[in-house]
Amino acid sequence: MTNDLAISVRGLGKKYRRNTKARSDSLRDLLKDSVGAMLRGKKDESQTFWALSDASFDIRKGENVGIIGLNGAGKSTLLKMLSRITTPTTGEARINGRLGALLEVGTGFHQELTGRENTYLYGAILGMSRAEVASKFDAIVEFAEIDEFIDTPVKRYSSGMYVRLAFAVAAHLDPDILLLDEVLAVGDFAFQRKCINFARSLEKKGSTILFVSHNMFSIKTMCERVIYLRAGKVVFDGPTDEGLRIYENDSRLKTAAWFQDEQTAGAITITDVRMMDERGKETGIFDHGQRMRVRVAYKTTREIVQPDFRIGIDRADDVHATTFSSFADQIDIPSVNGEGVIEVLTPPIMLTAELYTLNITIRENGFGRMLTAQVGGHFHMRHPVFSIAFGMFHDAGVWSVEGQTPQALSQQTKAS
Amino acid sequence: MTSAAETSTIKPKESVLIRPSKGLFDLELGDIWRYRGLLSTLVLRDIQVIYKQAALGAGWAVIQPLFAVAIFTIVFGSFAKMPSDGIPYPVFAFAAVLPWTYFSEATRRASLGLVEDANLVRKIYFPRLIMPMAKVAAPLLDFAISFVVLLVMMMFYNIMPTFKLLAVIPFIAIAALLALSIGLWLGPINVRYRDVKLTVPFMLQLGMYASPIVYPLSQVPAEWKTLYSFNPMVGVIEGFRWAAFDRAGPDLAAVGISVGVTALLLVTGLIFFKKMEHSFADVI
Repeated sequence: MTNDLAISVRGLGKKYRRNTKARSDSLRDLLKDSVGAMLRGKKDESQTFWALSDASFDIRKGENVGIIGLNGAGKSTLLKMLSRITTPTTGEARINGRLGALLEVGTGFHQELTGRENTYLYGAILGMSRAEVASKFDAIVEFAEIDEFIDTPVKRYSSGMYVRLAFAVAAHLDPDILLLDEVLAVGDFAFQRKCINFARSLEKKGSTILFVSHNMFSIKTMCERVIYLRAGKVVFDGPTDEGLRIYENDSRLKTAAWFQDEQTAGAITITDVRMMDERGKETGIFDHGQRMRVRVAYKTTREIVQPDFRIGIDRADDVHATTFSSFADQIDIPSVNGEGVIEVLTPPIMLTAELYTLNITIRENGFGRMLTAQVGGHFHMRHPVFSIAFGMFHDAGVWSVEGQTPQALSQQTKAS
Repeated sequence: MTSAAETSTIKPKESVLIRPSKGLFDLELGDIWRYRGLLSTLVLRDIQVIYKQAALGAGWAVIQPLFAVAIFTIVFGSFAKMPSDGIPYPVFAFAAVLPWTYFSEATRRASLGLVEDANLVRKIYFPRLIMPMAKVAAPLLDFAISFVVLLVMMMFYNIMPTFKLLAVIPFIAIAALLALSIGLWLGPINVRYRDVKLTVPFMLQLGMYASPIVYPLSQVPAEWKTLYSFNPMVGVIEGFRWAAFDRAGPDLAAVGISVGVTALLLVTGLIFFKKMEHSFADVI
């Protein structure tokens, strides 16, 4: 292996048991099983699946690589193996240099301890010596912006302070190789910017960063190369733009995981979903307050009476944000049959900046039986201030201050 | 990043090879040494946390064993008139409560610690052996504090400590290794079956009465003595009483069995723990 490689992975694979519950029902069985397994050296194959299989790639020193893929594609499994939390079933990986893994910000913080005590604790957990934390302590506190609360137990911290302190400690680890799992998606906008800047500074220093995210924005800004995983396999390894295109194609038109369509199979299928701005230009990024045009193409195998077309929006953390329903909006569609297209122009979308997923569902007889449910792609909401720290959506209020009418206020504002 | 002072950092191996666990046994002692900073930090954390927001703080380290001894003195010393080898009952009992309190606390924590710190196990790499080691080390502070109380008590009853008292060090070391060994066995089982959490307190309760704490070893019927001393804590407790009080040498057979049983549990425990540790993060 040459010297300029930070990570070299060959045929790495991890097999899990499908049934996450304990396989042996009693302690006696456990002892029997483990003694048996020790003697035989292998296990029952029937209940297993490969979370990741036969992954091979090299990452050069100083490279920033994004790991992308749908949920369950094996991204976290890969990071867990590279950070040695869990051992692979097959293959091997060689890591050259000091590795820092941030799989979750603040893991290991103890609620009862103060910010200061937790800084040392978390530093040690991440692999820093006490002397090292001590020498970086002031810089950590400054980065986290929590000076006056440093001797307060972290259980009294706001979630923002908590995350800031945790990230500040991690940011001072100075690793050669950094594994990041979604950690940049925390804190308010200003802090996120700080984190991105931090990642950039690491990049300048020549650190290698391996970055797992569902946020295609950050992937685009940080990585020139992506490794795309699908169902536990590396299906693409190359330039970010190309990888993101495959990802977008894959994440579109996937039957929703929760939908069971045994009885209605094939009555109506969604053949295409397009997301566009008001003027009809296809996009995956919407500014806060922009209207969205969604066009759904479908095909039926029988007549669907009184269909209800629904376009739901879910936030990346699976919080259901809103639904547009043709039936609820009293659009009278007596029936559909054959192929067709339906389109909705939404009101201004006031959702806060995050990644969202479109879910298309179609029912018959108004609010009757659901015939199909498909994931219709992802989009980003964009706004410099209104992140999820502001909640689910944001719209300006009408204020009055010290008895002044809204009009007077707005005139003042205009005047100034 | 304002300060990038040159400091001593934990130097990892320049290159780490990750691959499936092979072979029966690799203690990875080098890794444990590299992570000694985490070990001491975890010990420190456990010490800091236990008496946080308790008004009496570390005073509890003294109150708990004293309270137990007070009850034993009233019930067994006064009511039941339990013989105590000619030593005042309170100090007789305390010399045994001391190692037992440590042992039971260390055993409890070592057995349950992996699950209590499940977050760390799931999200961070460290040599897993560090966890039970830290758990066994933390209660040593409580032990040291109440040891001072034993000295005060001995003065009070006019029992002069001799250089023999230094012998408590190897005896407490046996208790620590024994607690570690039990933790090595029960910790991985607890990861999968939380029954352990419910069983441990009960087993420790039982163990207390199966050890010569409220009564002297001389009260154990002769025909039961051999079987009885297979309890490895018998040797430890007898050793403590021998070190503290002016009396005939410790029962060497009992001490030998203590050491033997502990060594056996330790070696098998290490093998079992290393065998199971690879699945901790997946199962816990």
